[in-house]
Amino acid sequence: MPTATRTYWLTTPCRIRRKDQSLRIERPDGSPVHIPITDVRDIVACEPIDINTAVISLLNQHRVNVHFLSHYGDYAGSLLTSDTSTSGQTVIAQARLAGDPAASLDIARAIVASTAANVRRVVDRKLLTRPMTILESSIAGASSREELMGAEGTFRRSAWAVLDTRLPDWLRLDGRSRRPPLNAGNAFISYVNGITYARLLSAIRLTPLHSGVAFLHSSMERQRHSLVLDLAEVFKPLFAERLLLRLAGRGQLKPAHFDVDVNQAMLSEPGRKLVVQTVRDELAVTIQHRALGRNVAYDELLYLEALQLTRTCLEGTPYKPFRIWW
Amino acid sequence: MIGPEDVGGVHVKYLHHCRRQLWLYARGVRPEHLSTTVQMGEAVHETSYTRSSPVDLGAAKLDHLDGAAWVHEVKSSSKPGRADEAQAMHYCYRLHGVGVAAQGAILHYPKTRRTKRLPYTPQAAEQAEADIAAVLEVVSAPVSPPLLPRPSCRGCSYLDYCWNE
Repeated sequence: MPTATRTYWLTTPCRIRRKDQSLRIERPDGSPVHIPITDVRDIVACEPIDINTAVISLLNQHRVNVHFLSHYGDYAGSLLTSDTSTSGQTVIAQARLAGDPAASLDIARAIVASTAANVRRVVDRKLLTRPMTILESSIAGASSREELMGAEGTFRRSAWAVLDTRLPDWLRLDGRSRRPPLNAGNAFISYVNGITYARLLSAIRLTPLHSGVAFLHSSMERQRHSLVLDLAEVFKPLFAERLLLRLAGRGQLKPAHFDVDVNQAMLSEPGRKLVVQTVRDELAVTIQHRALGRNVAYDELLYLEALQLTRTCLEGTPYKPFRIWW
Repeated sequence: MIGPEDVGGVHVKYLHHCRRQLWLYARGVRPEHLSTTVQMGEAVHETSYTRSSPVDLGAAKLDHLDGAAWVHEVKSSSKPGRADEAQAMHYCYRLHGVGVAAQGAILHYPKTRRTKRLPYTPQAAEQAEADIAAVLEVVSAPVSPPLLPRPSCRGCSYLDYCWNE
């Protein structure tokens, strides 16, 4: 996302108050921190926070969104500013595209293909060659989004199994589980996916698109931001799987970073801090963008992706979802 | 879509700058407030020329109207352009529309410490009217106008949208 302002990550329980044009963040220990509102792009609250009307009106004036991650680390919800960026013209174009079965299926296909390519790139190119060819043929043959999602699920299952071979015993996934995640590996993936979802929501809110009208997932159902789910697919491997492998490989993740019960697992407080810090640093990593010819942070890639979809909606340019090209 | 009375200074400026930008602006693509340059400009605007009195004309909003009915516009670029002039003349046209006999516009370029004086003439009025028609024509087009050659997109806040792939 554009660099004029920055994201604030709250990793300790705190109260946010308003002091003139600043946010005053009060932690139970230590002196309060003042942050000028013009420096804030959005806030990710990883721990419970208290907030009041004065703060909300200040956030609204400056179009700052707050995202909340729940105790278990999944995405709990967002405090979104009023919808000032969505534009009727664009949303109508988006809805027209989503309502056109052929066009929306093309977009859904592209998303599934790119997601798989990213997973394969991150997890293992060799072992996933065969699942990839199977996926490609089922993508070509799919005639509905349900079929597409099914094909993706099959591919994902092989990918999770391959991922397990590269993880230490205690971090293995043994199949993906959520709400609640059953083991440490799943807890990690859920948490990072929750962050990715929140970041993408922020990115989409900066474009005139509507976050509820989607192409792969069904639109406006279960009060989820379906479009965010669509776009998050292609970015999840870049953050979740990649960071899990990296942290495990370096031995940075320890059993102490998780609270594991018989039937569920979640990140412990030090674990959460480690993960948030890692993701935050990862989002700031830059790469040379091929088309724009300048350095772009991973975080900005999410915004560029949303822009590209805007362009597809408004001008009908083919949508080429993000693929890890480096 | 917008009507003639909704056309503002920004529309006219974009018309002369890049038609594609205008087309997108009308469709709600507004990345300006995300750009560091624009934020800097806004901060400067808020803290300088405090004695000037902005005039809000609905769709258009101008920086300052002095006692002798000259429109003042402060430009952050160092290079005067056709778009600046057209925007200033649009303001004069709008002022005449509400019964203020604006004499013309003075463009300020603080970076190079130059000013440019543009009297409001009948030709300028004609041009301003033609600009409004042109804006409406561009905005209502079903297909987006083509990209400008890449070098002229330098510094534009729409660059990410147009050239991203």
